[in-house]
Amino acid sequence: MSALLTTSVGSLPKPPYLRKARAQYSRKELGRKDLLELEKQSTREWVQVQEEIGLDILVDGEQDRGDMVTYFAENLEGFAISGLVRSYGNRYYRKPIAVGPIRRNEPITIDMWRYAQGLTKKPVKGMLTGPYTICDWSFNEYFDSREAFVMELAQFVHQEAMDLEAAGARYIQIDEPAISTRPEELDLAIQAMGVVTEGLTATTITHICYGDFAKIYPRMLDIPVDILDLEMANSGYQLLEVFQQHSFGKKISVGVVDVHSHVIESPEEVAEGLRRVLNQFPPEQILVDPDCGLKTRTVEEAKEKLRVVRQGVDMIKKELGID
Amino acid sequence: MLITTVGNYPKIAEGPEGQKLRRVINRFDKGDVTGEELARVEDEVTREVIQEQEEVGLEMVTDGMVRWNDGQTYLARRVEGFHLTGLLRYFDTNTYYRQPVATGPLRWPGPMTVRDYRFAAGCTSLPVKAILTGPYTLAKLSRSEHHPDLARFALDLADIIRQEAQALEGEGVPLLQIDEPAIVRHKEDWGLFQQVMARLTDGLSVKRVLYTWFGDATELPGFTRLPFHGFGLDFVGGPANFDLLDDFPEDAELGLGIMDARNVKLESVDYLSRTLERATAHVSPDRIYLNPSCGLDYLPRDVAVAKLKRLVEGAGAFKAVVT
Repeated sequence: MSALLTTSVGSLPKPPYLRKARAQYSRKELGRKDLLELEKQSTREWVQVQEEIGLDILVDGEQDRGDMVTYFAENLEGFAISGLVRSYGNRYYRKPIAVGPIRRNEPITIDMWRYAQGLTKKPVKGMLTGPYTICDWSFNEYFDSREAFVMELAQFVHQEAMDLEAAGARYIQIDEPAISTRPEELDLAIQAMGVVTEGLTATTITHICYGDFAKIYPRMLDIPVDILDLEMANSGYQLLEVFQQHSFGKKISVGVVDVHSHVIESPEEVAEGLRRVLNQFPPEQILVDPDCGLKTRTVEEAKEKLRVVRQGVDMIKKELGID
Repeated sequence: MLITTVGNYPKIAEGPEGQKLRRVINRFDKGDVTGEELARVEDEVTREVIQEQEEVGLEMVTDGMVRWNDGQTYLARRVEGFHLTGLLRYFDTNTYYRQPVATGPLRWPGPMTVRDYRFAAGCTSLPVKAILTGPYTLAKLSRSEHHPDLARFALDLADIIRQEAQALEGEGVPLLQIDEPAIVRHKEDWGLFQQVMARLTDGLSVKRVLYTWFGDATELPGFTRLPFHGFGLDFVGGPANFDLLDDFPEDAELGLGIMDARNVKLESVDYLSRTLERATAHVSPDRIYLNPSCGLDYLPRDVAVAKLKRLVEGAGAFKAVVT
């Protein structure tokens, strides 16, 4: 039963009614309470979708989060939010700025996690952004060094993880997509993750986005989590070659559908990718999910991408005669 | 000493008037306005950006590269033989560009930036610096399906950028800046880089400076003897650049990037003044361009302006100390 478990990376698209409500909220045309009701509604819808598709480990879909870093910065003391900076072409965002000592006045993600978990008997993952990524994607006016900034953040992400565990979360994912952009700081990210996951008994996962893994492998296996979640489909499963050089020694969560493409993969494509992974990893060591968060896809595309993950895994399970 | 910028400038500011470029691009993308209307707003914003640089007290300005999405695609869209593909991260920043791919022979299409230079020069009585991305960085951040290797690709691009440089030379630009940040991150290509720079500058007479950022130019033997009149170095992203000042050529100019253009934290006047003293122990002030560490596009507009003002104050404090 614990072979080839299916899940998703975390974020799921917000339905049009919620996008509209968020815009109204930012213009102060809608109250916080009304927005929360709509966030819960779409969370409920996504939990139903994941159950109906038959995924094994669910997520709440992060319907109440905008950007994965800004969300935490807005809910921690010690951050301000900058003016608009450009990310690409004509796209702009407001970047967090560390301006003082960081404090967490109350749990940030627990209420929405608890709401989602109350809707299903399947486990819902607690979803956090890691300290290294929060630092890397913020400006810093306060800390003397990146090390000091990351290590202070680690304490608060740890508290949040402990609260998720106390609330009953069996899986806690701490995303560190920024790790692969600066291989020279991998040790710092590992040290910070050690603080975050210390004393947790829940199964821990981290998601790292595509980057130059050849430079951080096998050292990245020292990131103190149980499962590493990696993009595979986007890079044509090239990572498998890198991983041949050294025994992986952890569970691997394999991204089998490209989240940047509108094209829906076929179940056969997913199965074919998985067969390649199965050449190197036994089924018990593998979890299966999309490459990354699906929030940039439409609701329909995201559903189809999740469904095809399930169908591809079912084809493989049948071939292997498991379940 | 001339106070200047390294090239790009934040394209939008807070408030409706500050965001007119963002708005018109949105409407252009939807087909609601013509290319002429877009160009008109680009000109307007360019004029404002130049005025702002004048007002803060810069002594040499750029057009702010308001029309450039990034260093690569503005040129690659125009050079014949390139196509744009998927999004790629620009070094270790949170900005992205569409990767150009050479799919056939590359050809210079005629002047690409001369009209931009002429417009900018008409907006101000200050000298306007022209900027081109260098052939090595352009090749390194792109891909070729046409060339057998990076060397052939970069040398082809050197011919194209040289033709553009000649067109700017004919226009009488007082200074041409060639951007080659990629070499400080790929020192293994140093041999090739020297060939490419030789090809680029062959027969050029325009006064030119070679700029790098996000790293140091140490371990590139003879870097400051390349065929340029000056060298722009990032002392924030590459503190080891101070080592290059010990035997900085007597006849070369120095682009002194000592103000962090990637973080909102405002440098103190004292730090700037002291760092200027440190640099002028090796390079006389009349051979120094004082500028931020890289383009200002990573900062919100209000912070960029505050930083430039501070740079001017720092220069003032330094002058007061030495005289």
